Amino acid sequence: MSLSPHTTPSGFRLPSIHAAPPFFTQQPNPATQAVATEQWSRLILSYAKHRNLFTIKVEDAQTTGGDWDEILRNDRINRKLNTSYLAYILEQMERSCRLAFDPPKQSISAVLYWRTPEEWAEVLHEWATSTGQLNTILTFYEIIEPPVPSPLSGVPMSILRRAINLLIKSNRAQLIAVADGEGVRFLNGSTSK
Amino acid sequence: MGGGQSVPKITKQDRAILELKLQRDKVKQYQKKIQTVLDREHEIAKQCLATGQKDRALLALRRRKYQESLLSKTDGQLENLEQLVSTIEFSLVEVSVLHGLQQGNEVLKEIHKELNIENVERILDETAEAREVQREIGDMLANTLSMEDEEAVQAELRELQSEALGVGETERPITLPSVPETTPVSKAQEAVEEQPERARVPVAA
Repeated sequence: MSLSPHTTPSGFRLPSIHAAPPFFTQQPNPATQAVATEQWSRLILSYAKHRNLFTIKVEDAQTTGGDWDEILRNDRINRKLNTSYLAYILEQMERSCRLAFDPPKQSISAVLYWRTPEEWAEVLHEWATSTGQLNTILTFYEIIEPPVPSPLSGVPMSILRRAINLLIKSNRAQLIAVADGEGVRFLNGSTSK
Repeated sequence: MGGGQSVPKITKQDRAILELKLQRDKVKQYQKKIQTVLDREHEIAKQCLATGQKDRALLALRRRKYQESLLSKTDGQLENLEQLVSTIEFSLVEVSVLHGLQQGNEVLKEIHKELNIENVERILDETAEAREVQREIGDMLANTLSMEDEEAVQAELRELQSEALGVGETERPITLPSVPETTPVSKAQEAVEEQPERARVPVAA
């Protein structure tokens, strides 16, 4: 079996390390393990970006036919990630702020930050500007489920909230709350820092 | 630097719009739910037919029909809500346009206050006076040169002119061709007389 990149049916290019059997098991040597973890977190984030996935669960390592099948298992070398290793990787990623456990205070399901909240804030503001929705009041629901697909379709509420909070800090958004729920108004605030 | 932009205040209208939009979202979510129910009932009917349970399939289809009618009703509600939201937003735009017009009008009034006819006349008069004074000053300054000085200046100018023109001309002597002494004979005429004869020579076939 040669180590070579492989393109999955969804068009994602797996790195050659994904075809190496040891990659799927936890390594005793901390230095080796650190490298492997780094590779895994990069792989997970880039795959999430490719497929527009936002959440990952520890049990994704076990389920077949899930969204994560293509990278969490490699049938060509008959290997798959086990749950405890995935849990370890997710924990490491949380430490380097590349995901957040959502809901907090558990470590089973997590929201991936393949864009940092800061980047999401920029995307959000750009979207509002380019679609002429500055100064109009928007509900969270219409931002994440717009009638026309946008870069923000399907963004988890937790990311959206963090992005909006960042925009509020820089005077580029305003939160409006009523009894029924919340809305946000984007403003043309100065982008200079 | 200090926060340049102040965040606009949340008005009653803002809240109203938000509430409407939240309602709209709820209707949309409800529609989504009905849509999945519709799909499911369709599947159930199909399965029942496949297993030969015709009456159950019929029941599923009836339920489906009912849900469909609900869906179309909510469509109407959704339209109402969206229209209301659009109307409010449009009215807000109109209000801001009116506000803009008002401000513009006030500025224009302000400007007109400054620009009344008396002021204009006064300023024009003053300007004419000032111009008159300026002309007088200019004349006075020009007249400070005495006649002698003026003559000296003129002489200098002439000198300069003659230098510029005269020197260039004297350096290049004019050479003209001399008049020819013999009467010219036209050679071209002789050649023309000979040619017609040559043309008549027959060419051997």
